[in-house]
Amino acid sequence: MLKIDDLRVAVDDHQILKGLTLEVPAGEVHAIMGPNGSGKSTLSYAVAGRDGYDVTGGDILLEGASVLDLSPDERAAKGLFLSFQHPMEIPGVQTMTFIRTALNAQRKAQGKDEVSAADFLRAVREKAKLVGLDDAKIKRAFNVGFSGGEKKRMEMLQMAMFEPRFCIMDETDSGLDIDALKMVGEVVNALRGRSGDEDARGFLVITHYQRLLEYIKPDRVHVLADGRIVKSGGPDLARELEKSGYEQFIEAA
Amino acid sequence: MSQSLLINPSAFEAGLEAAFLARSATNERQAAAFERFARQGLPNRRVEGWKWSDFNAALRAETAGAAEPAAPAASDGSFAALDALEISIVNGRIETPSELPAGVRFGILDAVATIPELETHPIASLNVAMTRKAFALEVEEGVAFERPILIRHRQAGSGFSFAQTMLRLCENASATIIETFEGDGAGFYSHLVHGDLRDGARLKRYVLDDAGARARTHSLFALKVDRARLDQTSLSFGGALTRHESVIHFLSEGGSVNTTSASLLSGARHADFTSHVLHRAPACVARVLHKGVASGKARNVFQGKFEVDRAAQKTDAQMTANALLLSDGAEANHKPELEIYADDVECAHGSTAGALDEDALFYLRQRGLSEAEARGLLIEAFVGEAIDAIDNDSIREVFAIRAKTAMETL
Repeated sequence: MLKIDDLRVAVDDHQILKGLTLEVPAGEVHAIMGPNGSGKSTLSYAVAGRDGYDVTGGDILLEGASVLDLSPDERAAKGLFLSFQHPMEIPGVQTMTFIRTALNAQRKAQGKDEVSAADFLRAVREKAKLVGLDDAKIKRAFNVGFSGGEKKRMEMLQMAMFEPRFCIMDETDSGLDIDALKMVGEVVNALRGRSGDEDARGFLVITHYQRLLEYIKPDRVHVLADGRIVKSGGPDLARELEKSGYEQFIEAA
Repeated sequence: MSQSLLINPSAFEAGLEAAFLARSATNERQAAAFERFARQGLPNRRVEGWKWSDFNAALRAETAGAAEPAAPAASDGSFAALDALEISIVNGRIETPSELPAGVRFGILDAVATIPELETHPIASLNVAMTRKAFALEVEEGVAFERPILIRHRQAGSGFSFAQTMLRLCENASATIIETFEGDGAGFYSHLVHGDLRDGARLKRYVLDDAGARARTHSLFALKVDRARLDQTSLSFGGALTRHESVIHFLSEGGSVNTTSASLLSGARHADFTSHVLHRAPACVARVLHKGVASGKARNVFQGKFEVDRAAQKTDAQMTANALLLSDGAEANHKPELEIYADDVECAHGSTAGALDEDALFYLRQRGLSEAEARGLLIEAFVGEAIDAIDNDSIREVFAIRAKTAMETL
């Protein structure tokens, strides 16, 4: 599904990713853990195609095709979704208008019909309830005046609405309480499907903590340090890291 | 030939003087006004208050003289749904509707007024001297005049033209005035509104300025406000040199003014919103909000001043100007000023200028919006704050649609 092959990324001529290789098959959840400054957010921005994140080597393939030449919106239309670590507030843009515009832009790029106003309203209300945002919240300007946790819920609302093929979740757990983590787990697990299913989706979960992984069971856990994957393992690796920390990897890298 | 009153006049100023002297029906007040103008000449960049909008430089080589009369153009239909009472002013010539609805009085007057508060204002003095006819409009006491009054200003061809509107809302009267600036003229047009709002009056004024890239326009709105309220929203697409100026005098306790403006400027266009609010009475409320968007080599000017007399305790005045610059060549010049002589007031101003937020742009694109769609959405949101202040749905919609069309040229 998502294949990252020897990826090298520089920001302002500063090499951040130094040959990162990773493959997440459909239906699987992989977690990336690692110390601050190891390149976790750089990885998410590079995959999403942000300007200024220069790919100096390697490739990123989504469902077998390279996305390097695609703009961020073209990658989104291919089904790539990034749940932001720090979601934006956008004053003056109504939440519902924005989500509908985005959904229809993606559908248009995919050659699908626009969603009718009635269908959209029904879906957005249902998903808003699922992620724990009340009606008043989704009628306001996008994320304006929202708490950190509410902004993360808004990310999950969009993920549930867009039903992307592949999701990168960049520290979605920060600012969330236990109930909210459970909700994130529900959203992910509803989308995930089983490996081998035609509509199975893939997830790359960037986190510092093991606790989100109680609700989203990862198939693999990778440790990122100094721009490379330095260790991979099963779910137990996350627990081990929580106990022993990253220091061993910082030294190793 | 008699000696010129002007010191070292430009070709344009000499043309103004010739036209003034050639007129048969000027009165002493107009002669005095011309003298006041002549002492200053057209304002140039060395005059504080005009440093970013140099009318002298923009007009000095113009030799076209007075603009020729031109026929009114058919309305573009933007406001057709409003059933407005329409007044047309083409190259300064006023046409009023033949019907006279109950509750308002209007007419065309020979005598233009002098305005003591504006005697030091060079273009106001010029306007008083040069205007032949004034349009007078009065809404009678207690009348809530529902039909919007649409004043369509049009510049056609070249040359200078002048017009004046005298406006009065009597006690507890209310009215909505829309002013549009249209045409594709290449001359100079000066319009002066001087009005007063009596106790309990409420005026809504909406200005849509789309007079084309060659327009040189000075629109001056001078208003005396008793215990009354003004809500004003202006949208300008700029011109070769365009200035919309408001001079508000609060004369009684409890007056209130809420004014918002937005500029959407492309190419080499220039728009200047200047407001001067004089608090002469206590406990008046003023809100001034400006949103300017400039691309290409356009220039967005905002000047705002709150002047609070010693008597004007409990004044509550806030001013905000935000500029969005879409290119390296675009420019924003903001000058917020407070001049306060009272000690128990709340006055504040804020000013920002910047480019589109790259983080927000990336966020929107990650959600599937193209670069153009993402930029459009952010620009729309930026000016939306000014336009959303219009509380009449159909008028707000016209402004929003016209703004959206203009955004596509940015």
